Amino acid sequence: MKNNLRFLQWGRLFLPILIIIGTINTVHTQNSYRVTGKITDDNGPLAGVTIRIKGSSRGTTSDFDGNYSVQVIGSETLIYSFIGYGTVEEPINNRSKIDVILYSESTQLQEVSINAGYYKTTDKTKTGSIARISSAEIEKQPVNNPLEALQGRLTGVHITQSTGTAGGGFQVRIRGQNSIAAGNEPLYIVDGVPYDSGSLSYNGSSGSIMPGALISPLNALPPSSIASIEVLKDADATAIYGSRGANGVVLITTKNNTNDKTTFSVNVNVNVNAGFANISRKMKLMNTEQYLEMRRGAFQNDGITGFPFYAYDVNGTWDATRDVDWQDELLGGTAYIENYQGAVAGGSERTHFNIIGTYGKESTVFPKDFNYKRGTVLASINHSSSDDKFHINFTANYASEKNNQPGSDLSRSARSLAPNAPELYDESGNLNWENSTWTNPLAQLNGSYSNGIVSLISNATLSYELFRDFKISSRFGYTDIRIDEEKTNPHTIYNPAFGLTSANSNIFTNEGKRRSWIIEPQFNYQFNIGEGTFKTIFGFTFQEQNSEQFSLLGSGFTNNNLIYNLSAASNVFILDEKKNQYRYQAFFGRLNYNWEDKYIINVTGRRDGSSRFGPGKRYANFGAIGAAWVFSEEESLHKAIPSLSLGKLRASYGITGNDQIGDYQYFDTYSVSNTIYDGTVGLTPTRLFNPLFAWEKNRKFDLALDIGLWNNKLLLSSTYFRNTSSNQLVGVPLPGTTGFQNIQANLDATIRNSGWEFELHSRNIQKANFSWKSDFNLTIPKNELVSYEGLENSAYANRYVIGKPLTIVKLYHLEGVNPDTGLFEFEDFNNDGIISSPEDRQYTKDLAPKYYGGLTNTLIYKNMQLVLFFQYTKQNAYNHFFNYAPAGFMLNQPSESLNRWQKLGDDTLLQKYTSGSNFQVQNAFSKFAISDAVVTDASYIKLKNVSFSYQLPRKLLGNSDLLLTLQGQNLLTFTSFKGGDPEQIIGYLPQLRRFTMGVQFKF
Amino acid sequence: MNRKGKELIVFMLLLFFMLSCDHFLEVDFPENQLSGDIVFQDDATALAALTAIYANLRDKVLLTGNSNGLHVIMGLYSDELDYYGSSGQPLEEFYNHTLLPSSVSISQLWNDSYHTIYMVNSLLEGINDNSHLSYETIQKIKGEALFVRALTHFYLVNLFGAVPYVIQTDYTLNSNINRLEVNEVYKAIVSDLKAARSFLSSGESTEQRIVPDKWAATTLLAKVYLYMGDWERAELESTSIIENTGFSWETDLSNVFLKESGATIWQLKPPVDGYNTLEASTFNFVSAPPPLIALNEQLLEVFEDGDARKATWIAGVSNGIDVWYHANKYKNVSTTSNTEYSIVFRLAEIYLIRAEARTNLGNISEALSDVNKIRQRANLTDLNIIDPEELLEAILLEKRVELFTEFGNRWFDLKRLGKAEAVISSIKSGWESKNLLLPIPENELSLNPNLSPQNPGY
Repeated sequence: MKNNLRFLQWGRLFLPILIIIGTINTVHTQNSYRVTGKITDDNGPLAGVTIRIKGSSRGTTSDFDGNYSVQVIGSETLIYSFIGYGTVEEPINNRSKIDVILYSESTQLQEVSINAGYYKTTDKTKTGSIARISSAEIEKQPVNNPLEALQGRLTGVHITQSTGTAGGGFQVRIRGQNSIAAGNEPLYIVDGVPYDSGSLSYNGSSGSIMPGALISPLNALPPSSIASIEVLKDADATAIYGSRGANGVVLITTKNNTNDKTTFSVNVNVNVNAGFANISRKMKLMNTEQYLEMRRGAFQNDGITGFPFYAYDVNGTWDATRDVDWQDELLGGTAYIENYQGAVAGGSERTHFNIIGTYGKESTVFPKDFNYKRGTVLASINHSSSDDKFHINFTANYASEKNNQPGSDLSRSARSLAPNAPELYDESGNLNWENSTWTNPLAQLNGSYSNGIVSLISNATLSYELFRDFKISSRFGYTDIRIDEEKTNPHTIYNPAFGLTSANSNIFTNEGKRRSWIIEPQFNYQFNIGEGTFKTIFGFTFQEQNSEQFSLLGSGFTNNNLIYNLSAASNVFILDEKKNQYRYQAFFGRLNYNWEDKYIINVTGRRDGSSRFGPGKRYANFGAIGAAWVFSEEESLHKAIPSLSLGKLRASYGITGNDQIGDYQYFDTYSVSNTIYDGTVGLTPTRLFNPLFAWEKNRKFDLALDIGLWNNKLLLSSTYFRNTSSNQLVGVPLPGTTGFQNIQANLDATIRNSGWEFELHSRNIQKANFSWKSDFNLTIPKNELVSYEGLENSAYANRYVIGKPLTIVKLYHLEGVNPDTGLFEFEDFNNDGIISSPEDRQYTKDLAPKYYGGLTNTLIYKNMQLVLFFQYTKQNAYNHFFNYAPAGFMLNQPSESLNRWQKLGDDTLLQKYTSGSNFQVQNAFSKFAISDAVVTDASYIKLKNVSFSYQLPRKLLGNSDLLLTLQGQNLLTFTSFKGGDPEQIIGYLPQLRRFTMGVQFKF
Repeated sequence: MNRKGKELIVFMLLLFFMLSCDHFLEVDFPENQLSGDIVFQDDATALAALTAIYANLRDKVLLTGNSNGLHVIMGLYSDELDYYGSSGQPLEEFYNHTLLPSSVSISQLWNDSYHTIYMVNSLLEGINDNSHLSYETIQKIKGEALFVRALTHFYLVNLFGAVPYVIQTDYTLNSNINRLEVNEVYKAIVSDLKAARSFLSSGESTEQRIVPDKWAATTLLAKVYLYMGDWERAELESTSIIENTGFSWETDLSNVFLKESGATIWQLKPPVDGYNTLEASTFNFVSAPPPLIALNEQLLEVFEDGDARKATWIAGVSNGIDVWYHANKYKNVSTTSNTEYSIVFRLAEIYLIRAEARTNLGNISEALSDVNKIRQRANLTDLNIIDPEELLEAILLEKRVELFTEFGNRWFDLKRLGKAEAVISSIKSGWESKNLLLPIPENELSLNPNLSPQNPGY
């Protein structure tokens, strides 16, 4: 970017000269005339573009508004080129006006600067695997969290969103699961500062609305404040993060003003968008007629004549003609979205600032007024001394979130309520309990979950060039995140017939805090040897993190209005109280040698010390070597294959570590138990302690080939990776006579993640007024538990199999429905005549994706841009029969359950119905529910994102820009999966289908 | 600044960062944890580690009033309780005698018991050579810890037969420890109990009887001697308890299980003021059929006509057609007003221990007076049996109706007296003679080969 802008200034200086030269050269030409036109890129007019006539030295450059004019002959061809952009050739064909769109290199292997953490590189010179997504792609997606914007866009990065409820969390796996028992989340670095992505939420407060109490701290960063996200995947890129790089590193860079304006100027950017969201896929359930047929059949099968008094749905108590789609009733609402962003950027020659404020609000699809609100301020300022030796940069992001959601997700009720269940409200508008014959699902909404999160991420970098090419610098970072949560369970969530009062109401509260600081002094030195350049970095890290958690349960209130007031509770229990400290120090370095952008070698290393390990085991060394050969730079090859514009081979190998094991594990300690005896809170031994355990090590190998053809119109990148993690930190099983079942230790178990990653970028059509480009990516991962000594005696004996992925589930194998008995039958693996667990739960299915990726098509016509993004995954998942009750119970069923056994000889998908009193049927079902029948193909192709934008012609608006946008997310899903959304976590909302409309003003 | 000066700065900085600190990685201790050393530097924290053991027994293992406790699992295992819960649950395996070495409930019972022993041993090691704690605290911890160690091993040996007797925390030793013969385990128990008794208080300071004192240790000792067939010592120890003036015989049946009962030797206090026993919520049910467990009908039939215990300690619940019964010794399930604690040892059991011991010693008349003491309180007529065998039968029956659903007493008596096979096989089709002992957990055998062989038949 900087380069472009410098060039722009130079271009402006030379403009008059070039025009004169051009004029001189064309003076004597016959039939010549003047072609005019405008050159633009994604963001508008492009100044300083070189326009050359093919086969001659004549040419010009575009002016500040992107306009150019040049003297030509109608049969000539124009070549448009600009640093950082792809070159375009246009035959004139006697036209007098030629508008051209140039493409920035965000999809091209060239000079775009890539953040590698402690240093910067480019696609062309990098030796490691680094995937990048820029603000242009992030901004096109109407999502709340930057991680959501990465889904399907990057190879080797698999992201699962845990709920469609706003303000939730994500699971991110970079090149698969490396560890059995330690953490598998990548390291997040925001503007150079490590940012712990662990949720601070407490399961007792948020667990029933946010699965696993996952609340992503990255919600503090609205996608519109982010400039780019880089994902470091291989050893070459991650080894410099040492003990924390094993699971990959995600670098987030916020928007910063790096504009090299020479005079004081201020740009204002206002962006408003609004829209709505709803659930995208429902499950096909029985209607009342089918449902009642099932229920009647169930009682008949059980030999029950005359329906029992509690069978309200079939015995006439409830209206048998009522037919309700509970998914519509409970989840069918529309969530409204509004987002505002204002930005002011400006500065003078040596000082720049940028302030971005955002405010967003999103309501929910549940039938009551809930919403998620977020306000953020991102401020940055940078300054350089007049001799350009001293630089200072400061950035801070402050976010305040307020989330108010139902106490529990209604998704489960929506799928299981009888379709003829009663009205939600009675005539006077109160919750209807239909004489206590049902549990009104909306009663749950009388309780709520709410949180307030405040987060600050700040950093300052100072650097000084002490000698020529020798810089000393230091980064200072501070992060602070606090969450306050409250979950209320007023007595009104229960049927009033129980006669409960506010004395039975309770509230869960949780207070979580995490503060960290980091100081990283660094020395950078650059020098030349031969034709190449040596770049060296040498630095230190000191980091401390303090976290706290305090969770309370208050119960018994004189009035529900006092429920948020713990001092009004008659009993208050402390559920959890934790204070943890973590300290970390390191010494790291990088040595990079670049011989004319042709041969590049990169050596990185780190010595890490972490307080999570016992004395003597605290330090470990990590390092990697990477090399690249840009063979297209070889003269001979370039001559032999002229269409080869880029050819690059790179490889890397190295060791990284994983210390995500929790704090204090090596201490011999007593913990405060949550049990009280005679007024004394007990102290219990926490664990068998092992002061000897050490790091998990992850060896990564990476080999890649990048090919660019026809001026990089077609770019193909193929990567093979193989990561082997050993020295697994797990609980090593011990006999119970030791007092515990395991001890934390390094076990001789090995896990291998290998796979292929492909990227294809193609500029299919690039004409003056119209262009079309496609970007495709594909990842084929493979995970394998290579060895595990003593697996059969360990706690994992019934979960893992050597030679299979860690993501398998062990299941019974369903052989079908016995046509004589009408019962499910399963394979008897050990032939003992009994179907029992774990002996016969030997059928394995893998729940990890077989392959995944995405396809983006970008179409530009004049001022209009249309982007279509498809995401695809090939995978198995738990289907609509998982976690369901046997067919025939007073719970609705997938409509497939109609295909059941009825009479002797029936060959059916499902066994016979039971109302709940046939032990055999239920027993067979309980095995069916953990058989291979509940895991089926859940592959899908999703039209994940459509974005349309229209840039109003500048002449209409004077000097301002106005951009109109229409965006949609999760629009269409193509799948054979019957359990709703194939990405959804059962029991929680799927990702919502979202539409927004926006206006962006720039002046 | 000249070049030399700048170079010096860089060098100094480098040196500073490189030397700056091994101690940087020393972190503050977590505030919800204490290091083992610190716990034993202060009376209050050391005693908190001791009381955690009682909470553990009350809430989790062996003596607990929830459905993991001996009174439920061994009640189902013998002829006291019937199972009504859903199929495939651990309790059903106890009821049907389908327990396997791989059963979760078996390893849970084993592991939780040995975890309790670890807690005890960790305390005993913590007070060893300790100069920070007061003399009283050390005496108290020593006595109570040894008592609990004996108690836990007593139940283990009766459930599993030969078991390891664990007396240290070192996992390198404990992970390949051997099993001791049953009589060796008993010897170790007796020795621990005798030592415990020498450290324990005589009860004046523990009015609520919520921590074991000298008399609790004596009770267990009497019971152990009875199980060992050492009738003389069993009688001697029983007599010392009965003659202790600190206890008073409770003649009103409805007062026996109240927390103030004078006949209580040791009881466990519920966690929070206002809470009552786990036993009450485990046994009581209000709608029929029973959700989990109910009393076996045979038990109801063996009560003699007019036995007041049947009316006071048992309650029936009807669904309009059939009636099911539950133990009603603990009645209070309220969470606001506390009236009952979980009684582990009470005087009635001592009388019955002595009666059995005396019968075996040939002292029929005194034995009869002990049994009749119990019978009088239940409004029953005095027994007048001369034949010792007949009297022993009568005492066993009396224990059955007096101590039902209390810590598996019934099962342990049947097993000890060699009657389990005959009694249980007549009512449970799944019974096999291997069921006299529970299986050693499968995992345990594979992790520690020294524990082999598995108990016969499994």
